[in-house]
Formats: sequence, C-alpha cells, structure tokens
Amino acid sequence: MLRTLLFQNQDKKQLVIAIIGAFLGITFLVTSIHYLIRVNEFGKGAEILGPNTIIVQKRVNNSAVLGLSKTDFTLTEIEKIKAEPFIQDVKPVISNNFDVSFETNDPLVPRFRSDVFIQTVDPDFIDVKSDKWTWKEGDTLVPIIMPRDFLVMLNTFMSASGIPQVSDDVAKDINFRFTISNDNGKEWIDAKIIGFTNEVASILVPEKFMEYGNEKYALKTDQKITQIMISGKESEFGLVEELIETRGLESKNSQMVVGRLKSIVGTLILVILGVSVIAVLVAGLVLIQYLQLLMTRNDYEVRTLLRIGYHPTIIIKQFFLYFMKIFGIVASLGLGMFFLFKLFLDKLLEEGGLMIDTSISFYAIGALILAYAIFALTSYRTAKNGIYKEY
Amino acid sequence: MTTENDRMNITLNNIMPTPLASIQHSDKSIWGNFISLEPGEKIMLNASSGKGKSTFTLTTVGMRKDYSGTITYDGQDIQQFSPDDWTKIRQEKISVVFQDLQLFPKLTVKENLLLKNALTDTYSEMELIQFLEQLEIDNKWNQLGGLLSMGQQQRVAIIRALCQPFNWLIMDEPFSHLDVVNTQKCLDLIDKRATELGAGFVLTSLGDDHNFKYSRELNL
Repeated sequence: MLRTLLFQNQDKKQLVIAIIGAFLGITFLVTSIHYLIRVNEFGKGAEILGPNTIIVQKRVNNSAVLGLSKTDFTLTEIEKIKAEPFIQDVKPVISNNFDVSFETNDPLVPRFRSDVFIQTVDPDFIDVKSDKWTWKEGDTLVPIIMPRDFLVMLNTFMSASGIPQVSDDVAKDINFRFTISNDNGKEWIDAKIIGFTNEVASILVPEKFMEYGNEKYALKTDQKITQIMISGKESEFGLVEELIETRGLESKNSQMVVGRLKSIVGTLILVILGVSVIAVLVAGLVLIQYLQLLMTRNDYEVRTLLRIGYHPTIIIKQFFLYFMKIFGIVASLGLGMFFLFKLFLDKLLEEGGLMIDTSISFYAIGALILAYAIFALTSYRTAKNGIYKEY
Repeated sequence: MTTENDRMNITLNNIMPTPLASIQHSDKSIWGNFISLEPGEKIMLNASSGKGKSTFTLTTVGMRKDYSGTITYDGQDIQQFSPDDWTKIRQEKISVVFQDLQLFPKLTVKENLLLKNALTDTYSEMELIQFLEQLEIDNKWNQLGGLLSMGQQQRVAIIRALCQPFNWLIMDEPFSHLDVVNTQKCLDLIDKRATELGAGFVLTSLGDDHNFKYSRELNL
C-alpha cells in the first residue's frame, strides 16, 4: 500500500532512459575492465621476464666494428633512460668477467661440455619464485635459467648420439656442472635448470653467484654493461619503442611485438573503460536525479505519512529498496550482456591469435559490486536527505 | 486503554507565531500567554477567521516551528524532540484532524484508513467499516478519497484520526462541511473514543459549539 502510494506519481520515460544508459554503461564497464586485466596478463608466466620488460643493447654499426663508437652503456646513460616518465625501471644485465664452462654431470646423459657466457638480471625483472632463484657462497647447487635454444641444441646432440631426446621437465632433472676459473684458480659447482627462456641468449644465474665469480675469478679486463633491461609502464610501450629507436638501441623482435600488441589493445580498452566510467556516472546521476524528482512529486505523500506517524526510515527504505531493485536489474542485465560479449570477443581474440585467459576477471565483478555499492550509498543518502528535510 | 500515568499535559508558554506577531491579540488570547491543557480536558478553541486556528494546530503538534515561546509535553520542550520521539508521539499520544484533511486522494477510503491503522493495529477492518456505517459512508469503502465530497472526506479524516491510541486529539474545524446531524454523530463518536481512552481534545471552531458541553473554552 505504501509502495502504491509512493510510486504512483512516476514519469517512466525518464526512468527508462536512465535504465538504458546505466545498462550500457555497466555492460561496457565490466567488459572493458575484464579485457584490460586479461590483455595485461597476456604473456605473464609464459616467460621469465616480467610483463612490459625487454632486454636491449646498442645497435652494432660499422663505426662500432671499427672501434669508433661504444656498444656498452655508461651509468649516466642508464640514469637518463630511467628518468623518462614512461619507464618503470632500468637495470643492467651483468655478464661474467671470468671464464666459465658448462658440462653435463649425469651418468644417464652423454658428456657434453662447452665454454659459455652467463648473465644475471635483477630478481625484480624475473618472473620466477624467489625461493628457487637464490644462491649464496657455500651452496653446492646453482639454479639456472636456460635459453630454450640450448634445449634444442642439446636434443640435436642427443639425437645424433642415438639417445632419446628430453622434454623441459626431464631437462630440469639432469645434473650439470659449471667450471669457473681464471689464470690463478678453478672451481666446480653443480647446476640445475629451473626454467627456460626465449628472450635471453645466455644462461641466467642468480646475482650472488655472478658477484661471487666476478669477485673471486675476475679477469684483468674491465667489466662492461652491454645489455640493459627496461621495464615500461602499462600501455605506454609506443614511447619505449620510440626511445629505443632514437637512442640507436635494439631488442629481440618477439619482445617488441608482444609489447606493442599489448600496448595498442590496452590503450583501446582504456579508452572504452574511460567512456564506460563516464556512462555509468552519468546514468547513475540521472537515476539519482530521478529519485529526487520522485520524492519531490511525492512531497505531499511523504509529509502526510510523517504527520500521521510513519517513521522516516520506513519511507527511506521504500525509496532505497525500489532503486536498489532497479539497479540490481540493470547490473544483472549488464552482467548477462557481458557474458554474451565475452563469448563473442573470446572467440574473436582466439582467432586473432591472442590466447588470453578466458576465466572471469575478479576485478570486473569487483567493479560491478563497487558501482552497485556506490549507487546504493548515494541513493540511500539522497532518500535520507529528502525525507528528513520534511522535519 | 490509556492510564492516568500515560496522560499527557501540554503547555504553551508565551507562544507567538511569527506571522501573527504584528497583530494585536486580546488578553484572553492564548497567543502570548501561558496556557496549560490538562489531561482529559475537552476544549473548544473559538476564533474568527485569520486568528490562527490552523497555526495553533500545526504549532502545538510540532509541525510548524516559526514561533517564539515554549511548548512542552509533560514539561519537555517539543523543539528538542527527535524524529523518533515525534514518530512515537504521532502514533500513540497525539492525533490530528487537519483543516485540509490530508487524505491520500489516489488511495481508497479503505486504504487511507488501513494505512494509518497499520501503525498501531488499533482496529479490525470490520470495526473500521462499522465506524463508516455510523457516519453513513460505509458505501464509500472502496472509493478513491479524491472522489468523495468534502463532507465525506471530513468523516473519513475523523475516523482515521481515531485509528490510534491518543492522549490528545487536535481537530482543526473538523465539521466545517458537515450538516448538524452528521456533526452530532461525529462529535458523539469522538467524545466516546476520547472518554474511553481518558484522553482530551481540542476542537477549533468559528464560534459554533455544536451543542457540546466542553470542559473549557479558549480564545485566540
């Protein structure tokens, strides 16, 4: 009866317009947040380097070959790159300044030995669990991350030797051994593969191991930084690419392609997200304005109800629940439309080669809940202010 | 049934509504004087048009605050009451028949009465119909309030005001559109209910005492 009384003076046209606006806004908001998250996650975990991270070196030109220009980075150059607003972090890739050879040390695998080049990068750039990626002086086993090309080479060697080839997991069980040395001494340390990478051409070792070797078995030549790792900010990869070009640097093409793709898609989705947020806000405002209009139209009814003994909270509850129901329907319809969009978009992205995670993003649902909560709070406060002003 | 302890005293101490401040009031006027409305009193407030009968009604029940002076219920200044206090008072202590009746025109007579009755569950639907029968408008039970004549609306508003326990019933010219017979029936119903509850009432009038023996007569 109370509901009949309070909601009989409605102009449903404005309500329908607000509902359609809120529905579209919610749909695009949830969809854009979901895909923004999923696209940014794309490639994460598949490689050891964190997202938006590339390794660059100076382009080797004729003058470098003739020794007229340098191919190593000075600390000043690193600091300058780091100061760019679109750069999150820059760290040098440290190489060995001592002799290293690497060999199999397992009775089940034929002997294979080679002089190698090892490198280390800041642990913040590496997407592996830190408890595995650690070494200290006295440890007898060094964890290593291998270039995937090495496994291909090892399998070619195994095949030629008439031995079955090894998978990633089997390779991680093979015992290897480093020999580190200089003219004054030599040391053997066991090693185990903990992961593979397509992005680095050398064997990666923990920082402490590199420091240990460089300190104890340092050669007489100065150590040079020839590669650096650059981590760009989300959706600003275009600027990172521009920097690489203007500074005469180069990187592996695959790293650039993924970064560029993510940056373009991310930027597009950010634009859609921005428009969606504005749409939700405008639609929310129209709904709140509608609530105010409804209360103004029911000014007499509200005042009379208070005068005959109705408590303000009973009347507030009527308006609040009514609008919660409306926004609940809008949110449900928006969520339903998001699922339909998702079916279509996931297929479209899959066909385009972008194999993103298809599970529902928690953040998208969180955004929907947040929008609902903000609307609930605003409509409650609007209803409360409107009713209590009658006192 | 209201007990002696529940009965409420109302005082108006030097009350002067802002819109009436510039008018000269007589020594007998309640405006600017001290008036105490004692529990159970049946009072007629007599005044000509424009002297503030509706202002008295709305001010005394806390619906207007544009006045100087102090109004108290059992010694408590009504300006200090919270919305919770007013809700309780309007449900259980003071009932009002407004001059403009304040029915809901788009609700039926039944809905108008049940909406009020639901707050305290004072009467059954059957009892409400019996009240309407007594006032000869039981055939209007399902008719929209806005379609009733003013006299019929006044009778519905009176019955609505009776749908709660009260210590005081404040009525602002409640019989202005009623004939003598219907006025008498309404007044009998009101008097019976007030007596039953041990409650008092204030009836504002343009001078007609409706042949009722009041405890006291006040003037504006």
